[in-house]
Amino acid sequence: MSEANVKEVASTSLPRPHFGPLTRMVIVASIVLIGVGVAPLFMDAYSVNVLVRSMIYATIALTVDILWGYLGVLTFGQSAFFAAGAYATALVFTYGGFSAEYAFAALLIGIAVAVALAGLVAFLAFWHGASALYASVITLVLPIIVTQLLFSGGTYTGSSSGLTGFETIPLSSEAWFWAVGVWLVLLTAAAWMYTRSDAGRLLIAIRENEQRCKYLGLNTSNIKAAIFLICAAIGAIAGWMYANYTMVVAPEIAGFTFGTELLIWVALGGRGTLFGPVIGTIIIDYASAQLQGDFPFVWKLVIGIVFVSVIVALPRGILPLVSNAADWFRDRIGIAQPQQHSQLQLRQASRSGRNIIGVESRGPALVVSGVEKRFGSLEVLSGIDFEATYGEIVSLVGPNGAGKTTLMTCIADGSKRSGGTISIGGHDIAHRTPEECVRLGVGRKFQMANVFDSLTVGECLQIARARLDPLSKWQKSGVCSLPPSAMRVVRATGLHSDLNLPAQVLSHGKKQALELAMVLALEPKVILLDEPTAGLTKAERTLIGTILTELAKTEQLCILLVEHDLEFVREISSRVIVLHQGRIVLNGSVDEVVNSELVKSVYAGSGH
Amino acid sequence: MVPVLLDLITTAAILYIVSSGLLLVFGVMKLINFAHGGLMTLGGYAAVMATAMGLSPWIGIPLAAIFGGIVGLSMERVVVRSLYNRPLDAILATWGLSIIIGQIITLVFDRGVHFAEPPIRGVISILGEPYSTYRLILIAFALLLGVGLTLALRGTSLGLSTRAVIMNEDLARGLGINSGLVRSVTFTLGSGLAAVAGALITPLSSVDPNMGIAWLISAFMLVLVSGSSLYSLAVASIVLGGAQVVVSNYFGSVLGGMTIAALAAVILRIRPQGFSYE
Repeated sequence: MSEANVKEVASTSLPRPHFGPLTRMVIVASIVLIGVGVAPLFMDAYSVNVLVRSMIYATIALTVDILWGYLGVLTFGQSAFFAAGAYATALVFTYGGFSAEYAFAALLIGIAVAVALAGLVAFLAFWHGASALYASVITLVLPIIVTQLLFSGGTYTGSSSGLTGFETIPLSSEAWFWAVGVWLVLLTAAAWMYTRSDAGRLLIAIRENEQRCKYLGLNTSNIKAAIFLICAAIGAIAGWMYANYTMVVAPEIAGFTFGTELLIWVALGGRGTLFGPVIGTIIIDYASAQLQGDFPFVWKLVIGIVFVSVIVALPRGILPLVSNAADWFRDRIGIAQPQQHSQLQLRQASRSGRNIIGVESRGPALVVSGVEKRFGSLEVLSGIDFEATYGEIVSLVGPNGAGKTTLMTCIADGSKRSGGTISIGGHDIAHRTPEECVRLGVGRKFQMANVFDSLTVGECLQIARARLDPLSKWQKSGVCSLPPSAMRVVRATGLHSDLNLPAQVLSHGKKQALELAMVLALEPKVILLDEPTAGLTKAERTLIGTILTELAKTEQLCILLVEHDLEFVREISSRVIVLHQGRIVLNGSVDEVVNSELVKSVYAGSGH
Repeated sequence: MVPVLLDLITTAAILYIVSSGLLLVFGVMKLINFAHGGLMTLGGYAAVMATAMGLSPWIGIPLAAIFGGIVGLSMERVVVRSLYNRPLDAILATWGLSIIIGQIITLVFDRGVHFAEPPIRGVISILGEPYSTYRLILIAFALLLGVGLTLALRGTSLGLSTRAVIMNEDLARGLGINSGLVRSVTFTLGSGLAAVAGALITPLSSVDPNMGIAWLISAFMLVLVSGSSLYSLAVASIVLGGAQVVVSNYFGSVLGGMTIAALAAVILRIRPQGFSYE
């Protein structure tokens, strides 16, 4: 364990944020803006016309990419928000006439309607226990309902032929090109900054492992809903631009077909790359307009074939292919750039005290009384009563199927038990969700190492701290503050030298250690460890054992441990609870349990 | 009252016919075949071809089954097989396949509306009210389909293998069941059923390259609320199809058009397992 390469700084001196990539981004954005400025001067009127529409579409494709590529919500419904903005504009101008005030009002109304619709979708689609498929289904139902509503508007909404002939903001095609181009560049730059920031990493964490996020105390439903609402508002702005520019709206823009077309553009460009979807949308929509006249059906057929091939063979889209080729080319001609790893630095967190219970609270840390769990008529747990105090390591042992993991789940998620009460530090957990249980001071480590595979070790730790240290929304802060307990685990297991490695390349033992550090970063008072030593080497096991015993003592943690390795249990436990067939058969000191005939018979399989 | 009641029953029958292929694929493969709509369109055009060639309209149905089966089998081999572990991508890829089918049909025929000769014309009198004979025949067809599929699943050894794969694919594979074959057969059968459904509805709707899409959404929502049970699908078809008929009758067909989707979304929010009793 070399302490030499631990980068630790005093809490007061913040390291300087990295402006390198940011400066590059500003340069690229400026060049693109200049391009947008001069492009209309060199293009024919038809191309300018088409590209304005393509760029408007690209702004919605960008929102689809954030939702699908980053957050993992496959949405068919962005077209509905686009239509909300477009129809609000068309209706205001048709029935109120055009004026600058009305144009502004139409924008606000469109956004308001889109956000209201998105709120309804979010309420239905993002709740504790909703599946990814269900969320997609809701986003699929939305455009269908909106289209039907537009039809049912009769002559008021123009029914199937839509609205046309209203007066809009009087701008030339070139002026629209500049306006939309600038908006697209700014939006893309903002999205780029956000997705690269610490908070942007959280989106990927949710996509990869939403359950782990919940057990890190993060309200993922609210985060998803917030992003969804923002994306709906951006979609409405695009619709407002579209109606103003094309001066025609039709129900097709609300439909499921347009919603999936957006997905096709994003998939082809490269989901989760931002630039891919933007470039892909512009190229495909522009090419469609050029080719549709001559080969309308063949062109759509080609798009269909390419789309299916990309989904099957290149799930990450075409842009990553291009950038890989560019890297390869740079390698070949020998101007390979050194990989810039943003160095993450660890620092000691001051105790945040944001958990509901304080350190000073007396009494038992955990009280479980009369807890039952049934699956239909099958009784998995019954009459579970025990207490555990601060500074205690209690081991739960018992044969497979005794209900150990189920008991852990019941303590960490208030909605899981069928009966009885559980309180943490004197607070009844009632029916609290996992993220609320974390606020009460529960930290849970899963049986299988449960980390965010595509994030780096440092990012995993930052996400674990997100509840206590809000993440930066516009940059990589470059620091992660950890409480002493988590820091101890990180240092002792050598994770501090792996901070910039993706978590998926870690060895099994280090993954287990990382998850333990993530749980400790929550500053819990009661931690639930499900087989923390499974699959570890003898040396790693001893190390984890030593750390746990120390933590129980110095941090006054209450540790509840599920373990099969009785040797390990004997070494570190202060007390052992034996579960058998869903009941506690013994609750006593290590010696009592080890010498008990009952335990021997339970493990030998002869029943009670 | 009688026509509404008959509409309700026949609508449920049609929805059952349209959804059963999708349900089979979802039940066994746990993936949503968004090419279902495209395959229905294909079946519709099979009926159009039968009419064009001057064959009996009844021939259109087996013709559709053959077309759908062949296209389904090749889709499973070439595309779907590599997406078993990516269910959301499978939705997109099969949607892409649906676009391809639609565009090829457009290239062969054209964009316009076609008509197929209905197998039976005319009405018969039910309790003094005249009612379309063809719609009534569809009830019998739906019953036949339900009974036939149930018997195939219960009575044949491939059906037994299929049920094993539905319940626990890993275990089934461990026991030596060729789950790849089960998937192939299921997808082919599901696609064939989609095309047959497309041919069967031609007398009720016009045939154009997008005819399947509207049905796809209804079928998709019905399958989601039914899980993987043919029995639940029957219940769902009656309840949601019935609601659609009632809403269409009293509030207009536009609102009727969104009844199934909206109701299914709400049902799934309240009871994620929908109509299946597990």
